[in-house]
Amino acid sequence: MKVTTRDDVTAWLDGLSERFTLIAPRAVEEQVLYRPVAGSSEIAFDFSRTDLPVKEYFLPATHVLLSIERGEEGVSVEEPSLDGEQVVFGLRPCDARALRVLDALFLEEEPVDPYYAERRERTALIGLACREMGEECFCTSLGLAPDDASDVDLMLTELADGYAVQVVTEKGERILGDLTLEEVEGTPPKPAVREKTPILEPEAWPQHFEHVYWVRVADRCLSCRLCTYVCPTCRCFDVRDYETPNGDIERLRAWDSCMAEGYRRIAGGHNPRPTKAQRLRNRFYCKFCYYPRDFGPVACVGCGRCISQCPVNVDVVEVLEGVAAL
Amino acid sequence: MALASNPYHPYLGTLVGVDDLATDISLFQVALDDAEERERFTYRPGQFAFVSAFGVGEAPFCLTSTPLRGPVLEFAVNKIGTVTSALHRLGEGDVVGVRGPFGNWFPLDEMRDKHVILLGGGIGGAPLRPVIHTVLDNRADYDKLTTLWAARLPSLLIFTGEFDDWRAAPDTDLHVTVDQGDEAWTGNVGLITELLEKVAPSPENAVTITCGPPIMIKFTLLTLEKLGFTRDQMFVTLEAKMKCGMGKCGRCNLGEKFVCTDGPVFSYAEVSQFLESF
Amino acid sequence: MTDKIRAKARELLESGQVSCFIGYEEGTRGRVRPAFVYDPQDADRLIWDERCTHNLAVYLHQFQRPPRRGEEPPRVGILLKPCDSRSLNVLFQEEQIERERVYVVGLTCQGVKVNGQPEERCLRCSERVPLVYDLVLGSVPKVVGREDYADVVRLEGLPPGERLAFWMKEFDRCIRCYACRQACPACYCFECVAEQLDPQWMGIAIDVPQKQFFHVMRAYHLAGRCSGCNACEDACPMGIPLSLLNRKIAREVETMFGYKAGQDAVTVPPLATFKKEEALPL
Repeated sequence: MKVTTRDDVTAWLDGLSERFTLIAPRAVEEQVLYRPVAGSSEIAFDFSRTDLPVKEYFLPATHVLLSIERGEEGVSVEEPSLDGEQVVFGLRPCDARALRVLDALFLEEEPVDPYYAERRERTALIGLACREMGEECFCTSLGLAPDDASDVDLMLTELADGYAVQVVTEKGERILGDLTLEEVEGTPPKPAVREKTPILEPEAWPQHFEHVYWVRVADRCLSCRLCTYVCPTCRCFDVRDYETPNGDIERLRAWDSCMAEGYRRIAGGHNPRPTKAQRLRNRFYCKFCYYPRDFGPVACVGCGRCISQCPVNVDVVEVLEGVAAL
Repeated sequence: MALASNPYHPYLGTLVGVDDLATDISLFQVALDDAEERERFTYRPGQFAFVSAFGVGEAPFCLTSTPLRGPVLEFAVNKIGTVTSALHRLGEGDVVGVRGPFGNWFPLDEMRDKHVILLGGGIGGAPLRPVIHTVLDNRADYDKLTTLWAARLPSLLIFTGEFDDWRAAPDTDLHVTVDQGDEAWTGNVGLITELLEKVAPSPENAVTITCGPPIMIKFTLLTLEKLGFTRDQMFVTLEAKMKCGMGKCGRCNLGEKFVCTDGPVFSYAEVSQFLESF
Repeated sequence: MTDKIRAKARELLESGQVSCFIGYEEGTRGRVRPAFVYDPQDADRLIWDERCTHNLAVYLHQFQRPPRRGEEPPRVGILLKPCDSRSLNVLFQEEQIERERVYVVGLTCQGVKVNGQPEERCLRCSERVPLVYDLVLGSVPKVVGREDYADVVRLEGLPPGERLAFWMKEFDRCIRCYACRQACPACYCFECVAEQLDPQWMGIAIDVPQKQFFHVMRAYHLAGRCSGCNACEDACPMGIPLSLLNRKIAREVETMFGYKAGQDAVTVPPLATFKKEEALPL
């Protein structure tokens, strides 16, 4: 395997932060979040999983789709420009796989979403293999591995005194730059994994659609949006114009959530999913039945953020086990 | 950044006419400004487009015109929400945005030589109008045309100005009903399902298209089944809240089908397979 | 106490006095979660210990509609801590729930813990016995705290620029998930101002100006109504100290109107009423 020292990596990251926007795990109050860093000193190298996924750099929580000006000569519509390139460091395999899941819809399904495509194109991904699976992790149940390098450009694995470095793509080769790598005997250590959770095949879900199980789980659901926002593969969005104080118009795209009561309500009042049981059921079906049947991959990577954060302990692993046992 | 081809970027169009159709319902006639975009915007009955009221947002509207009758795009807009209210504040000469066309279309080719039965409730008649125009303009290609047109009140009936044209064509019937009449109303009073049972069209060599509020669609399909129509003969066009029109925003799904890309036109056979109700 | 709770729930369900009993149960991974017991045989799912932080009163809203048209809305049994009982009083005051529809099993409380750590608010809590109940369980706790608003005062002591910087930093982390609002029993508007489109008070943007607007607006809408149950702060995935905002306003309400939220079931909260006489001289 190719290895490098800790010092060399920090120097390399410092160099990257000067040429690109470097996004890495950073301590923010009590949490660790992917944030732009000015240098390696701002990086929280010792973390298990960030509290929010990296999706906000590809599908931002809010961004401008179009700038619309209404003037004397009429209306003009402009698209915003995205300058510069990004490098994400410290990307866990689950979050990297989540980007592939989103790719299936935003890149591989016509029409291509140009905003997502642009960000994907201009971003290099430096993965960091997990030492072990976390308490709430279940990536292996979805065919993933905590050291899976398939979805990043470079994969780093922590060693006692440095990192093992695997170059996965040409983009990875390019940003490797002058980072000194030494060839040594051996392979990177394998992470500790947990027992798998049974997950029903997408085709097996429709039979349970009317089961009262969904009503019982949804009893305690608060119908907030937390699970969808902390989820690396959830992508529903809202589009709305916003008039700025000086009269310009911005057409904004912002995260939205299928769990919100008014998500499907049309003007006039009709709402095909008025109950939270219907909405909760739809969310699980979307992830494990509809998305894979429509676009290919299951829309879950086993990161466990929803499990950690749901205020009322709606536990996706418990639900998957429950559904498999119906 | 020049986004290669940005499906979120609307064409600009000018309102060349805003006509009253019914209470709170107007017909918006849009001419796309750019000649090339006008050329490229081809569509078929059943498809829809997003119309932007800049400053507020976009909403999906079925195209109620047909390209065979001219390049002007027509939309029937009911003033009921923020985007539709903003559109209703516009007048001739104002600029709107148009994105589309999206969705699938009515199977007009498979409907040739068949008895075409159309059932429209309220503003649900809007997507059926281009079907009527297509049949009338190509009369020999289709068998009988029977249209059932309904609204809650006489003041909510749309395209009343075209009724004479629709009746004048050969082998064409138009039946109109309202849930509740008024002092001036001398026509039929009753639900569209009651009218349908009275007219009792034969399912022989027939195709039906139903459009209207969800509850109207549901009961009309039940009545058609009672009259002997099979689910393959019954088509609907569905409405849903939409934000992108191309299956990205995740919003308009009914089970694994998206109303914007797999629809809005579905057969009742397909609809009855949906896990969710519309 | 767990046995008594289970016994009472079983009795209420068996006799048909309630169609559902809302309490707490063991969740996954050592967590506790709200429980909905419909069958008296399931009453053994119910537990009670210091991990029971949730304010269950928030679930009463979903039981307001009758299961079938023409029927009566269901009666439910519910387990409430003293702070939660204040929330219920607010709902009675605002005529959101009829007293006869709820059978309240009130619990005296020693305080609750999150991840093994006592919640700060419990250390300050002086109301250890529920204010409304049909049955109260538990002995009156000897340890009673005192609310001194120390953390509010400390923040107030900072210069305005620093206070603003503090809150902007907190709101920056907010993801506008509305968990705080959904967990709050007093936030029951059919259409929240934050999501209203006509007029559009707030844009859909998840950015600091909108988030600031949302949190400050929500705190004001809770003036005189917030029971201090901390459900909002407990629910927040980003660890934002929301209770600081609510308690700042609660203290102002107490100063101006001599009023604390949820003390009884009939008094109208000061910001929901109008009196010709001003409480303070102009």
